[in-house]
Amino acid sequence: MTDPETGGGAAPAAHARRGRDVLTHQALVYRTGEELTKVAVGWLRAGLMVGDATVVIASPAVADLVRGQLGAESAAPIEFHDSAAWFTGPVQTMSAYHERAREHWWPHGRLRVLAEPVWEGRGELEVREWLRHEALLNEIMAGTPSAFLCLYDAALPAGIVEGALRTHPELLDEGGLRPSPRFTDPADFYAECNAVPLDPPPLTAARRAFASGELPALRTFLEAEARRLDLAPERVLPFVLAVNEVATLIIREGGGHGAVWVWSEEGDLVCDVTDPSGHLADRFLGHLPPRAHQQVEAAMWAVRRLCHIVEIRTGKGSGGGIGFRGVDAGTRIRTRLKLR
Amino acid sequence: MTSAADGRPHGPATSRGGAKPVSEVTFGDHLCLTFDNDPERYAILGAYIRDGLALHHKIIYLADEDDAGAVLRRLGDGIAGAWVPGTERLDLDAAVAEGRLAIRPIVDAFMATGRFDPDETVALLATEIEVALVQGYAGVRISGETSFSLRGWPGTDRFADFEQRCQAAFQTPGLKAMALCQYDSRWFSRAQLEELELCHGGRVRVDDLYDDGVLRITPLFTPPGLALDGAVDESTVQAVGDALERMAARASHFCLDLSGLEFCDMEGLRTLIGAGRSGGVHRQVILRGVPDYLDLMLRISGWDSMPDIYREGVRR
Repeated sequence: MTDPETGGGAAPAAHARRGRDVLTHQALVYRTGEELTKVAVGWLRAGLMVGDATVVIASPAVADLVRGQLGAESAAPIEFHDSAAWFTGPVQTMSAYHERAREHWWPHGRLRVLAEPVWEGRGELEVREWLRHEALLNEIMAGTPSAFLCLYDAALPAGIVEGALRTHPELLDEGGLRPSPRFTDPADFYAECNAVPLDPPPLTAARRAFASGELPALRTFLEAEARRLDLAPERVLPFVLAVNEVATLIIREGGGHGAVWVWSEEGDLVCDVTDPSGHLADRFLGHLPPRAHQQVEAAMWAVRRLCHIVEIRTGKGSGGGIGFRGVDAGTRIRTRLKLR
Repeated sequence: MTSAADGRPHGPATSRGGAKPVSEVTFGDHLCLTFDNDPERYAILGAYIRDGLALHHKIIYLADEDDAGAVLRRLGDGIAGAWVPGTERLDLDAAVAEGRLAIRPIVDAFMATGRFDPDETVALLATEIEVALVQGYAGVRISGETSFSLRGWPGTDRFADFEQRCQAAFQTPGLKAMALCQYDSRWFSRAQLEELELCHGGRVRVDDLYDDGVLRITPLFTPPGLALDGAVDESTVQAVGDALERMAARASHFCLDLSGLEFCDMEGLRTLIGAGRSGGVHRQVILRGVPDYLDLMLRISGWDSMPDIYREGVRR
């Protein structure tokens, strides 16, 4: 959160002690429950000893393991969160980290989070976006007094474990701490995620073109479609706000006109907003707090927070053109909100 | 454009329900100018006189005071202070000198016989209109102050009767005249006003600063400010910026009534919360009737604080 004039989401300087305000982001890829508890609990103990704000975000099973190993007294200062409730959406979770850290955790000193990401029930898109979330954490939390240890079961699908190795700069296990040899620069990882082509909208998607001066009618259309496709009533306004922002961006900063496609798919309300000619550079766009007078950043920051997942595909060098026709021009922004 | 016609819900109904914007007043109109503050009153009169002079209408101003010079100064100052667009170069002295603007003390005009007589007064006005048209004016604009009717002067108990006759007279087909009757609601009781307003074709209100069917911006006077009705988006945000800039030039602190704001995009929100800082001066801006969704937008905007912005109450 930043002031609109000054911009920049600075770390809380008052709490950043010299040498300690450096983010660490480590993965523990465990093979057995014993390894998990031994390493994770040891890591938590170290934090408790120096008085770090210590947080465990895990499934009830792992939380119980940790509690059992530490004992009630030692575990008392730890703030526990259920992982299913915490990892609601990649952007929402990042905002929750930031908000909670700023208000409750950093004021107590260094933050230490043991996190067990949720993978069960996640489809291909969700897995990609949650791994992107892991890569982004390196950028977004950089310079903050925070330490994250993320738990990965070695038995998870290979793509997820590989993602862990590529998004965490360091690995911690029984053998100790070492740099992750496969760690990938977050910007490169992010670009890889963006290179995955989008499926075209279904033929049944409702389409509407827009240009300057036509947004009132576009909003009416979006609202009607959202209601027709049974979007939860309290999400209609966020949906309309988000798509209106994207359309505004295209009118002002992009090619000047575009079209939207709206449909529902696997419990999501999906809306593609396309710009036939404009290029939208997406390097963490809307993930980092908007800088002053950067209206594109401010708009996409808001859009990401209004939606569950936002995917941007743009031409010129990102590999996919607008995603699925091999056309190397234009931009497609796909917003998703959970219907319920 | 009326609210009903463009499908938009009404804004603050008390301020403009059914009233006609002053620039749309036409021949045959006999309307109530009900006011409780001078800036609003003179904003309406300023536009009325401005348009009249531009259209080569004769303007007859029936004033409460005896001293026509004082009335002229009061009018001039009032209009200058009301920031009506296009009145910056209005030269009332010249208009009086040329006979295009006539200021008539009511005591002379209506009470010459020592008694207020509705029939005679209507006839007198009809004569004034006729003379002006014969002189070659394209039409006649009358505006009269009415507080004299409360002083108990002989005959003024029939003032409502007079207004009724005026209303009938202005219905005359082809009549090239119009009138705005000024009622100071601080002097008249509500019941009196209701009765008197019924003797008119309706009420007149200040002109909107902007209305493109998507967004309407209307000036507010007590406190000074702007009411926004409709949607602030890509096509209307510039109008908001312009209106705020003009507002900032005339008032150190002001109020933005957002109760009729149905939609506002991020740029609009940025413009609104930046209102306190335009022109490099920090001023207090009071937000009235902030819709719930603006709170949501503020939360997700990434902007922490709203410097110099104060919220008044909470909607719903």
